[in-house]
Amino acid sequence: MTRIIKSYVLLAATFAILALGVSILGFGRDGAYIFHGWLIALAAGWALMWQLNKVTDPEPEIPLEYKDDVIKWGVLACFAWGVIGFTVGDILAWQLAIPSLNGDMSWSNFGRIRPIHTTAVIFGFGGNALIATSFYVVQRTSRARLASEILPWLVFGGYNLFVLLAVTGYPFGITQSKEYAEPEWYADLVLLFAWVAYLYLYMKTLARRAEPHIYVANWCYLGFIVVIAMLHVVNNLAVPVSIDVPKSYPLFAGVQDAMTQWWYGHNAVGFLLTAGFLGMMYYFLPKAAGRPIYSYRMSILGFWGITFLYLWAGSHHLHYTALPDWVQYLGMTMSIILLVPSWGSVFNGLLTLNGAWDKVRTDPAIRFMMVAMLFYGLATFEGSFLAIRPVNTLSHYTDWTVGHVHAGALGWVAFITFGAMYNMVPWVWKRDGVYSLRLEAWHFWLALGGTLIYVAAMWNSGITQSLMWQTYQPSGAFTYAFIDTVETMIPYYWMRAIGGFLYLLGALIGSYNIYMTVRGAHLPDEGADAKPLAVAAE
Amino acid sequence: MSPETHDAVLVFSKTWGAVYLFVVFILVALWTYWPSRRKIYDHAAQSPLGDEDIRQ
Repeated sequence: MTRIIKSYVLLAATFAILALGVSILGFGRDGAYIFHGWLIALAAGWALMWQLNKVTDPEPEIPLEYKDDVIKWGVLACFAWGVIGFTVGDILAWQLAIPSLNGDMSWSNFGRIRPIHTTAVIFGFGGNALIATSFYVVQRTSRARLASEILPWLVFGGYNLFVLLAVTGYPFGITQSKEYAEPEWYADLVLLFAWVAYLYLYMKTLARRAEPHIYVANWCYLGFIVVIAMLHVVNNLAVPVSIDVPKSYPLFAGVQDAMTQWWYGHNAVGFLLTAGFLGMMYYFLPKAAGRPIYSYRMSILGFWGITFLYLWAGSHHLHYTALPDWVQYLGMTMSIILLVPSWGSVFNGLLTLNGAWDKVRTDPAIRFMMVAMLFYGLATFEGSFLAIRPVNTLSHYTDWTVGHVHAGALGWVAFITFGAMYNMVPWVWKRDGVYSLRLEAWHFWLALGGTLIYVAAMWNSGITQSLMWQTYQPSGAFTYAFIDTVETMIPYYWMRAIGGFLYLLGALIGSYNIYMTVRGAHLPDEGADAKPLAVAAE
Repeated sequence: MSPETHDAVLVFSKTWGAVYLFVVFILVALWTYWPSRRKIYDHAAQSPLGDEDIRQ
């Protein structure tokens, strides 16, 4: 496609989003929905004006260097959403320990605040970390600049608009009530726009690569992008009631809807929270340790293993439900086999450190990544175990599940992100190093302490809960009333809130450290003379 | 869908699904571990290390 056709396609797509926003703000009937119309219209209108200016400008001179400006914004967005998400999470933890803290208002109750926490941490923090690091990694391993000057901004802007629409809608009850897929149809369309742009941009950049082989980290990122596109479209097939209100109804009903939802839900874990972050690990861990990945071939086998098996595991969320038994057993079996490629990746990561273990002691960023691999190993073992049907009778609907998720999210996803960020931020901003290694170490220990307290509290509370629920009198009646099991949880909920607070404190110190690094002194510019042999290809 | 169709589809996917996944696994394993392909992967493993100068 020529430049002009590409510009027209993008202009048309942006205009469609603008039209969506204008229709919502014009036809919408309630405040939050109209506000969303304004947000969409303003963002799309701005994007449209910016693109129109570019079209009428003469063709710009594209410098022969990596496009890192959008990555910087991605890092800032990642930390901003992270702090918001962790804060809201800890507020929820305190609400559970002290229920009256919810203020007894509709917008502040658990059901409306919880999705703000999950969306802000998974999509705001995790998603921005993936977008930023994927742009960094694909350029370096391809030795090529991002394939567009406009698309990276539309991806970043469109994606963050989606997260903003999501979290500002929940307090007002705008939700389609699908866990981790709460945003309504119009926000889903905004994400679809950003995601198609992301996929196109990523593949075009890979197509420009100067290396014959596509490095494994790019396979992981690409797997993440492709599968999330597929999941997002299928799980959000819904019919809006009308343009006046945000409400829509899903295309599927009953058990089909449940299966679609958990096919989506578990693969969001598998491809956003696992494959994407494995991509991060496969680049930043070898780079920081100065050693190649322990077995490159195993990393390929691991990638395809995870890709093929994860897609079948979702039904383990629906054990002992109306879902046919064979589908449950299928999900359980696939979940157990999944342990093999998962642990393959764990050992591959840990053994990469062979010969560089001293760095675990001296470099907190490597320590973050090493502990991330341990928690990844723990969480994937626990996941396979909990997917076994009889084990699931013990764990399901208890806090054990919450503990499992947080071992993965706090211990694996966030730790690998912090490790990667402490490396990438000085590189992208061309700083000598991180502002303070002491603060980095404080962040590490607070985060580790917080995670361990959190997970230990939830293991205890989950198993206690379950055993109390399953204790019967000789007559067959329950020994404990439900409220007894709730009261027994109180000390564990206090522990969880304290662990979460430590984690939040660590993240605040980390954000300060990143902020001071960005503000710090720039490395001396090498200038054009430093690399006299760098010549433009093409 | 009639129960018979459901059962037929089920048996088909249970048997041939397993065969399919196993064959794919063998093919991927052979492809990655084929001795003559070693050089490609050794080279790729070094990709993040060393200089990362832009070329295009």
